[in-house]
Amino acid sequence: MYERYHIDTSPTKLPSTQIGKFEIIRKDNCFNCGQCMTQCIYDVHTREDRDQRKMAEPVSQLCKNCFSCIQNCPQQALEMVRNSKYESLGNTYWTPDKILTIWNEAEEGKIPVYGAGYRGPFKGSGFDSIWTDMSEIVRPTRDGIHGREYIATAIDLGRKLSWITDFENLDPPNIRVIQIPMFFDTDPLGLCLKNIILAIAKAAHRIGTFAYVNLEDYSDELKPYIESIAFRFPLHKAGHLDSVPWKKVNLIEIVLPKEFSSSKLEKLLVKIKKHNSTALISLGLPSHLLSEEIIKLIQASSVDMLNLYTDSYGNSSEGDMFISESIRKLHLNLVKRHMRDEITLMGKGGIAAAEHVPKAIICGEDAVVLDLSLLVAAGCRACDPCRIENCPAELKKVDSETTAQRIINMMCAWRDQLLEILSAMGIRDVRRLRGEVGRAMFYEDIEKESFDFIFEEKPLFK
Amino acid sequence: MKNIEIKHRPSPYRSEISLYQISLSDDCFHCGLCVDVCPYGVFERKEGFNHVSTPNSALCEGPNCKAGVYHCVTKCPVDALKIDVNPQWRTLGDFRWTPELIVSTWQQAETGETPNGNREYKTGSSGGGFDRFDFMMEDAAPITPEEVERIDLSISLNRREDGPSVEIPVPWYGAGMSFGSVSLPTMLSRAKSAKAWNTFTSTGEGGYPDELIPYKDHVITQIATGLFGVREETIIRTRIIEFKYAQGAKPGLGGHLLGDKNTPGVAKKREAVPWTSLFSPFPFHSVYSVEDHKKHIDWVKSINPDALISVKVSTPSDVDMVAVGSYYAGANIINLDGGYGGTGAAPEIAKKNIAMPIEYAITKVHRFLLDEGIRDEVVLLASGGIRTSYDIAKSIALGADGVIIGTSELIALGCVRCGNCESGRGCPRGIATTDSELDQLIDPDWGAQRISNLYVAWQNQLKTLLLQLGLKKIKELRGRTDFLRYTDEE
Repeated sequence: MYERYHIDTSPTKLPSTQIGKFEIIRKDNCFNCGQCMTQCIYDVHTREDRDQRKMAEPVSQLCKNCFSCIQNCPQQALEMVRNSKYESLGNTYWTPDKILTIWNEAEEGKIPVYGAGYRGPFKGSGFDSIWTDMSEIVRPTRDGIHGREYIATAIDLGRKLSWITDFENLDPPNIRVIQIPMFFDTDPLGLCLKNIILAIAKAAHRIGTFAYVNLEDYSDELKPYIESIAFRFPLHKAGHLDSVPWKKVNLIEIVLPKEFSSSKLEKLLVKIKKHNSTALISLGLPSHLLSEEIIKLIQASSVDMLNLYTDSYGNSSEGDMFISESIRKLHLNLVKRHMRDEITLMGKGGIAAAEHVPKAIICGEDAVVLDLSLLVAAGCRACDPCRIENCPAELKKVDSETTAQRIINMMCAWRDQLLEILSAMGIRDVRRLRGEVGRAMFYEDIEKESFDFIFEEKPLFK
Repeated sequence: MKNIEIKHRPSPYRSEISLYQISLSDDCFHCGLCVDVCPYGVFERKEGFNHVSTPNSALCEGPNCKAGVYHCVTKCPVDALKIDVNPQWRTLGDFRWTPELIVSTWQQAETGETPNGNREYKTGSSGGGFDRFDFMMEDAAPITPEEVERIDLSISLNRREDGPSVEIPVPWYGAGMSFGSVSLPTMLSRAKSAKAWNTFTSTGEGGYPDELIPYKDHVITQIATGLFGVREETIIRTRIIEFKYAQGAKPGLGGHLLGDKNTPGVAKKREAVPWTSLFSPFPFHSVYSVEDHKKHIDWVKSINPDALISVKVSTPSDVDMVAVGSYYAGANIINLDGGYGGTGAAPEIAKKNIAMPIEYAITKVHRFLLDEGIRDEVVLLASGGIRTSYDIAKSIALGADGVIIGTSELIALGCVRCGNCESGRGCPRGIATTDSELDQLIDPDWGAQRISNLYVAWQNQLKTLLLQLGLKKIKELRGRTDFLRYTDEE
């Protein structure tokens, strides 16, 4: 029977993430008149329980930055400052704002909605220098907030059959469908935290996607989620494969070094196919350049997926190319070789907010692999470098059930936001978004197109 | 046009948010020397009082003090005075509306005067678009008030051969804000100032409250996709009808009034059930092509043949085609609403990511209309992220005829951009709320005067700017990109 895909959310608070942007300070010259209490509509100010003559410490968490109490205090005894704890979150890519947004999404499972217009910089770098498109006039079948359930976020994994050549011996391709174009990386920082790995695998299993698990991270605890686990290992560790139940999984990824022995890889692929013929096989790539060996493997249908690896900032190991650019190059290379539909293309790294998902897909990915964002949902503060021994979020101790639910909440919010973007474009299937750069505006292009003619004498870009 | 009077209208709050913070320690023995030395009146000893009042930090100019740096501090005989940068300053504002811009807009709304040289009132710090543009002008001879007075800022809202002629004396009018998203006193403030200025404000899509009827010649009836409160009499009543196809802050997503703000009064106007969330769909269910759009316009024209038609669209990559289509369907005004514009509630993902900022759209559409040979038959108005008089001038220099103002008017009413318009009781400052207690915070007459004061300041700034550029009319500025220069990115 047809079942409509749905992600069940449940509000899940995490004490370590209760950090507000602002702090209200009550100075000593307060004379307890209670004016602030009358002014505040968010209950930041109350009287002390034990002694009603005195004002209690303000509950900064509830403050929404409206300045009403501050501007009405007859003593100028109230002060609002930026919360230093909030300011010290994350780093320049994983900004405090991005972390707080993920925390809220993980807590509530809702799309962030606020009043007043956009507040940020005109444009950022990487994904933040892309705008997505919309259509003013669209087909009758689509209807903004209503009818959004008819938009599909499912994608197919694996080689697609372009045409049928031999009707006698049909060789149906090995295709799997997942309901969201997002994969999980269970151990993006190589921390080997059992509780986190378990939580991410659980979440992947419940919402029907795949979680990458390194061979050494596997334990029997993960057995119930084996259908949703993708084993991942570097080529030189192929010998360890037999330490895990790889014959039962649906996806296996071999991470390639820059240079490798193709005969060794081919042997390994034969072995995998022999004992687990239904598993999809993915190759993890260190760079967007396709070697002849890989092209041959795609042509021979020996592999089903490619996964481009970058770090959690989206930078390739090569240097400063951001994933939006490297994935576009890889995608176009595959298109040029007429083999784009022979392979599923994914990218790991750089996805730090919901809007990065559709933008990565526009740049050519079929699906994204989420990394650090999942840890952030668990309470991580993206410290750089990671100080796991003194982790402020105590990641080693977080409960895996709570974390799984938080990741599910976040995925629900992210999927809903993907739907917003698709619905604004009038696209009803995320598969149609792949590589659709025509449905996006890139900063450099649009800046040239709109402004260069104005400044003909001194062009904006040399 | 009769002159608009400036009336001093301070904010109702006890203290202002200020860049500098001045404190008197317990050592102060209230000699009152600071009262005498401060040129700005920061210190005051009220008549009959022994003590100096709490210093009014908002008036302090800090190191730019004309009496010299820390003049008062060094003069104090007991070192009881301290000037610090207020840590609170950094909690106000954002990249687009910097704390300086918010405070200077408040000042203009209070006094009707352009802030003095030290305070930024022209641009924000978003690092792109308007904030990277600058006007190139030579140091002209001193400007006399008579010369400023002679500059013509008026624009026409109907450039077609048929239909009524409608002129507004300043190149802007007020954006649509629905009853429900903002309070009735806020709508009244805006309508009163629109009437005083002989310009317009728009109902938004929450219906046409009866209280606005006395201002009907200056109120635009908006017809948006939810058709909330749209009735024949509201269409007949107006001089301009605005079709809202999409809104810049949430293009392609329709509207959403959260249940908390849908009070019985709002629900009655919208003919809906109180305390339920109200959705405006996207798009118009009767418009799936430009031909349908024409039918739509014909429909309202049959009800009110004398009204001008304005079409509000957001800024996708094919916005130029949409504009041309709207023109051929009969629109008099094309309102481009850019992606960074204001809203009562929108998903964050939409504000930042969907559709292009207005700066790009203006040039794109302006050039396309020129190529099509119809530029002079249609009025192109820009909205969505236009904050100051300089943004207005830059929009016009990029190719718009005029602009539509939303957020700035709310800032004039005391908005701090905290962004909590959408939920619970709504705006804690009494602007974007439907709460029966909170909406009392704004007095419509006070509000109208604050908006008018801001307009006076803007009017003077624009006139002075035109003089400096050697122009006599704002119409001459349109499309003059040669006046603009792009500052380098830091």
